[in-house]
Amino acid sequence: MAELEFRDAVRDALDEELARDEAVVFFGEDVARPGGVFAVTGGLQERHGSMRVFDTPISELAIAGAAFGAAISGLRPVIEIMFGDFLFLAMDSLANQAAKYWFVSREQASVPLVVRSAVGAGGRFGAIHSQMPVPWFQGIPGLKIVAPSTPRDAKALLKAAIRDENPVLFLEHKRLYALKGEPGDDGEVAQLGRANVVRTGSDLTIVSAMKGVHDVLAAAEQLATEGIDAEVVDLRTLRPLDRDTVLESVRRTNRLMVVEEGPRTGGWAGGVLADVTEDALEYLDDAWRLTTADAPIPYSPPLEDAFLPSAESIVASVHEHLNTRPVNSSA
Amino acid sequence: MSVASATTVRMPRLSDSMEEGTIVRWLKVHGGAVRAGEAIVEIETDKATMEYEAEADGVLEIVVHEGDTVALGEVIAQIVPGEVDRPTPPPRRERPNRIRATPLARRLAAERGIELATVHGTGRRGHVVKADVEALAANGIAPEPAPEPAPAVPPEPAPVVQSAPAPQRQELTRVQQRIASRMAQSRATVPNFELEVEVDMDACLKLRAELPDHADPVPSINDMVIRACALALAKHPRVNGSYRDDGFDLHDEVNVGFAVAAPDALLVPVIRDANRKSVVEIAHETRALATKARDGSITPSELSGATFTISNLGMFGITRFTAVINPPQSAILAVGAVQARAVVRDGELAIAHIMSASLASDHRILYGADAARFLVDVRERLQAPIGLLV
Repeated sequence: MAELEFRDAVRDALDEELARDEAVVFFGEDVARPGGVFAVTGGLQERHGSMRVFDTPISELAIAGAAFGAAISGLRPVIEIMFGDFLFLAMDSLANQAAKYWFVSREQASVPLVVRSAVGAGGRFGAIHSQMPVPWFQGIPGLKIVAPSTPRDAKALLKAAIRDENPVLFLEHKRLYALKGEPGDDGEVAQLGRANVVRTGSDLTIVSAMKGVHDVLAAAEQLATEGIDAEVVDLRTLRPLDRDTVLESVRRTNRLMVVEEGPRTGGWAGGVLADVTEDALEYLDDAWRLTTADAPIPYSPPLEDAFLPSAESIVASVHEHLNTRPVNSSA
Repeated sequence: MSVASATTVRMPRLSDSMEEGTIVRWLKVHGGAVRAGEAIVEIETDKATMEYEAEADGVLEIVVHEGDTVALGEVIAQIVPGEVDRPTPPPRRERPNRIRATPLARRLAAERGIELATVHGTGRRGHVVKADVEALAANGIAPEPAPEPAPAVPPEPAPVVQSAPAPQRQELTRVQQRIASRMAQSRATVPNFELEVEVDMDACLKLRAELPDHADPVPSINDMVIRACALALAKHPRVNGSYRDDGFDLHDEVNVGFAVAAPDALLVPVIRDANRKSVVEIAHETRALATKARDGSITPSELSGATFTISNLGMFGITRFTAVINPPQSAILAVGAVQARAVVRDGELAIAHIMSASLASDHRILYGADAARFLVDVRERLQAPIGLLV
């Protein structure tokens, strides 16, 4: 079977949901005619018409406000905030309106709204186009945060997000758009809030999301050659967290490492550690996280590379915590 | 600031090796008033039974009942603000050196009755991790699980051979559990060797005969042995040290423990700074501590911190024996009875009072010559006991 590219997986999910349900609409900056700055959404306007797929002015708050209004008026809008960094501009509509409506309406009115956004560093976009917005939204009840790592998950989770009755923030890591992988079954819809054990192992559990999962998998392969058997958990949804899958894994491996692309302070990795230490302290030999420093993302390519978690830094951190010595590679 | 919040009373850490404690007796009634500093409960730890004081004024609400055993840190009572509302700062409690071990290793060690201090930590920063506890257990150190109780009624009574009656089962007290695991670990983990000397005790006996005019109480032979060892230990730091984590811990203090047979237990009270105490001071202390050990009023602090141990079975007429090292100490001296014996002195047959002294040493820190020098030093100090008085 032909491999599926991550950006095409996102487009296919939009395409299929637009075709399936005429309440679905999609808009944002440069998403329709130009087909998106990351070439994700080309052809959707041609297929579904300019009433349902259209470009907007450059105002994130206007986009988000329009989406909230549309969602409570019977549509199922999907919007694109081009860079996750710009979500701040849409914050009031998302945090104060969309995320609260279900509760303040006494669970009478839902807000079926999806916010797609390109996030993450490593693309030489600098401090204001590379951030990971998860912590800003992590503390907002009523909002779900989906963060896929593979094309198959991107498609199945975006379809699930569009079918969800309340707001979902759908994060697409820029460094994954060109990733190719195995496609899922036709029409596959995932379940939000479920993590996935993507590699089984017995010596420690490494939890991550999005691009981090691929760094962790590469690190796990290296560690395997050194006799350390890592289990890898892809969270897939960052809110709500699938605590059960993580706890089940940690109870077997007795060590937990969380790899988060994002500042250490206030990050989601700290929440995973807290959940596990609260519930399974007596099963733990160690629990720690590898994050970026509490600093803006550097623009300089070598600095940016050094700033981000990588397979090498994950391997080194595991050795440090297991008190083992790395096997000297030829490098 | 909240004025009237309840104070939670948790199972306190009353000894450094304590993992859980048993409520022996509540000294105050449920619903009764207590004052900060008043003893409210008697708690049995792995080492001793101790009183524990209220940290606040108020009304006592008992959570854990007498006879129940709970883990360290579990809530045993609440003190709810009553008519007295004087703010009392909680007393500062000493927190002795905590063994580095992960929560998982602590749980596994507790489940298997393994003393964490005896486990070599291979984890980060020397932490004891699961693998270390399991390695120790795999080497056969962990106590066997309790045997299944014999079935009350055999499924089919044997027609000819009468099956033996089930043995009377005695559960271990906490002190006995501790002794069992410590001794088993010592035998399994400490590469020990024994050296023995015979000490001519004539001079000691002569000195002792003269002391009643000068000393009260009159030091026993055992007190003299403690004093002699203390002085020798100060000169032989490794005998006063411990092997730990691929290194030697050399202790500044010379704290000599002496084994006391207590009802159903073996306790080792400690003479602290024994090298700085006169033999009469030591005699005072050994009497007081032995009495407390036998009547159960001895406290964990009086039982901890020994850097060397002396075990004396002379009073039973035991001639000679060897003792089991109490980790992490590096050696233990086993002292036998003083006996009149025929000896050759200056080519003549003579009668001397001979005492056997046998030193068991941890070969990881003491080698044969080290142990021999120490033991000979002790012998010389006992054979010329005037040095014990100065």
